[in-house]
Amino acid sequence: MPSRFTSLRRPSQLLGIGAHATALAGLTKETGVASLTGLGPGLSFAGLVLAISLVVVESLAREVSLTLVAAPVAALVTMTANLAGMRPFLEPQGTRAVWLTMHIVLSFVGIAAYATAAAAGTMYLVARRELKSARFGAIFRFFPPLDTLDRVNHLASIIGFLGLTLGVALATAYSFQYRAVVIPQIIWGIAAWLGVSALVFGRLLRGWQARRAALMSAVTFASVIALYVVFRIASLNRGQFL
Amino acid sequence: MALIVVGVSHTTAPIEVREKLALRPWEALHSLARLREDRLIREGVVLSTCNRTEIYAVEENDGAAARISTILSTRLGNDAAEFVYVKRDREATSHLFGVAAGLDSMILGEAQIQGQVKKAWEECRAESGPILNRMFQSALLAASRAREETGIGRGAASVSSAAVQLAKKIFGALSGRRAMILGAGDVAELALECLLAEGVRVAIVANRTHQRAQSLAERHGATAMHYDQCWDSLRDVDVLICSTASQVPVVTVDRVLGAVEARGDRPLCILDIALPRDVEAAVGDLDNVFLYNLDDLRAAAAANLEQREENIPAAREIIAAEVQKYWDWVAGLIAVPVVREFREEMEKVRSAELAAAFRRLGPLSPEQADAIEHFSKSLMNKFLHEPSVRLRTAAANGRGLGVVDAARYLFALEDKEIDEVEKGESSDIA
Repeated sequence: MPSRFTSLRRPSQLLGIGAHATALAGLTKETGVASLTGLGPGLSFAGLVLAISLVVVESLAREVSLTLVAAPVAALVTMTANLAGMRPFLEPQGTRAVWLTMHIVLSFVGIAAYATAAAAGTMYLVARRELKSARFGAIFRFFPPLDTLDRVNHLASIIGFLGLTLGVALATAYSFQYRAVVIPQIIWGIAAWLGVSALVFGRLLRGWQARRAALMSAVTFASVIALYVVFRIASLNRGQFL
Repeated sequence: MALIVVGVSHTTAPIEVREKLALRPWEALHSLARLREDRLIREGVVLSTCNRTEIYAVEENDGAAARISTILSTRLGNDAAEFVYVKRDREATSHLFGVAAGLDSMILGEAQIQGQVKKAWEECRAESGPILNRMFQSALLAASRAREETGIGRGAASVSSAAVQLAKKIFGALSGRRAMILGAGDVAELALECLLAEGVRVAIVANRTHQRAQSLAERHGATAMHYDQCWDSLRDVDVLICSTASQVPVVTVDRVLGAVEARGDRPLCILDIALPRDVEAAVGDLDNVFLYNLDDLRAAAAANLEQREENIPAAREIIAAEVQKYWDWVAGLIAVPVVREFREEMEKVRSAELAAAFRRLGPLSPEQADAIEHFSKSLMNKFLHEPSVRLRTAAANGRGLGVVDAARYLFALEDKEIDEVEKGESSDIA
């Protein structure tokens, strides 16, 4: 039974990712605007990037349990995108559009990696608690080893840091160049960057590993998402990602 | 003629009996050869492990099972009847398939038995034949299917394998990890062997009596250390196994706190397999220390066993399907040639009787001759249909060998076809 599902898993993942990417490309062609801006397209693209990053992590770490935990998040984000409506928020054309597209793509890659680090961190904390208290239930059986979760957290946080750093740098330059300043975007982007930076610097410079890194990634990412929700609720411009 | 298994196992005999009845390969071959010489069996395989001694055989004469029981009694030096079981035909096949899948093992689903079944068959190939060859092949296939398609062999089910599984749940692969063993007794040696088998790079052995630590370390290429010096080394090891004979905890918070703090966030797995315990319970409360005692290891093994038990019905279903396939094959091998021979004999009788009838009747028109011939064929087919079907069905149901023998006896059929088929099968399998 497991081997049958194992053989179907990868093709179905790739099929899903391919269909998602095709749909976004179709929308871009139809509207003539890159399907990255606007609440619906933005969330949809975030879901796609998260799905791709999970497949990459699954291939590198050879662990499916992380995907099993985080895949519903990717599905929820994509579903929310459809509920919000897939209308792109019209943005400038030409050089400005390319600049903006790069900023959005890199930022989403950074956020997706950060989300993966947080998922691995959360799983680490849960698995650690079970192992410390010598409980040998479903979590013990199906979760990957703590070391694997720690390595996924480490790798994903570095990718998240690189993606968000470049995304924020491009956004800053864009704001200066075109005098386009959106306060919630700036605050949220910097908050996400600070969160992932604290995690990476803690790991690389202070030698954080294991529980401390896991806790840090889970708490900071939850705070970043909470901040996004607050901004969304307060935002008057419902059609934009922020 | 029947397919039989005669033996003892951990379910019927205590270890004192099993160790006396265990047969080494050459002893097994010798016993089987004697049984064949005495025309009691046609084929035989002995499966002898620490948990069972079983003789699988294709009976030539009815006395084979009794003779094997006598051999076991002689070896035991006492009457072995109370420990011995005898199973026949389909029941014997189901038994072997279950044994190979680990369903009859002391630790449910253990994988070692599958290799032991294969080894036993290979060692007895000289005394085996097409029926047992096919049965052992099918048993190994059924066991592989049961393990792959169900969770019958999933998770660690013994204390030592649970210890390794727990360490793996923390560190992933243990290859290249560092370990320290406190104690130099048999249990400590077993633990050291388990770790080395998992690829643990440096194993440090510490013991109050340094000579014993040195001796154990030398045997396994590890490093020996004085008991009082080992605490500082804790900062570099990933797994600590404690198995001393001390009556009081030797691993205390005071002794390990410095090393644990120096480790930073790196986890330390402590497996306390000593009784009384070697590790103070408060050590487990330290951050990044994962402490497991014997009860925890038994609980981990029991949890896995519980999971395995849930998979017994699924494994039994696979085994039942494979047993059926095997007996379908036996039916083809044994019943079909007999049915064919039986029909050929009857056809000869029919032709002779028909020729005699034509001679007696004198000249007949072609239509009349055809009608008589058609009548004779139809009558013979109707007579033979039911016995043919029943013979094949009986063989497929696992009662074929005895029924086939009865048919041969009743209709005075020769043994030549089965021998030819057996030769063909032997060359196929070889």
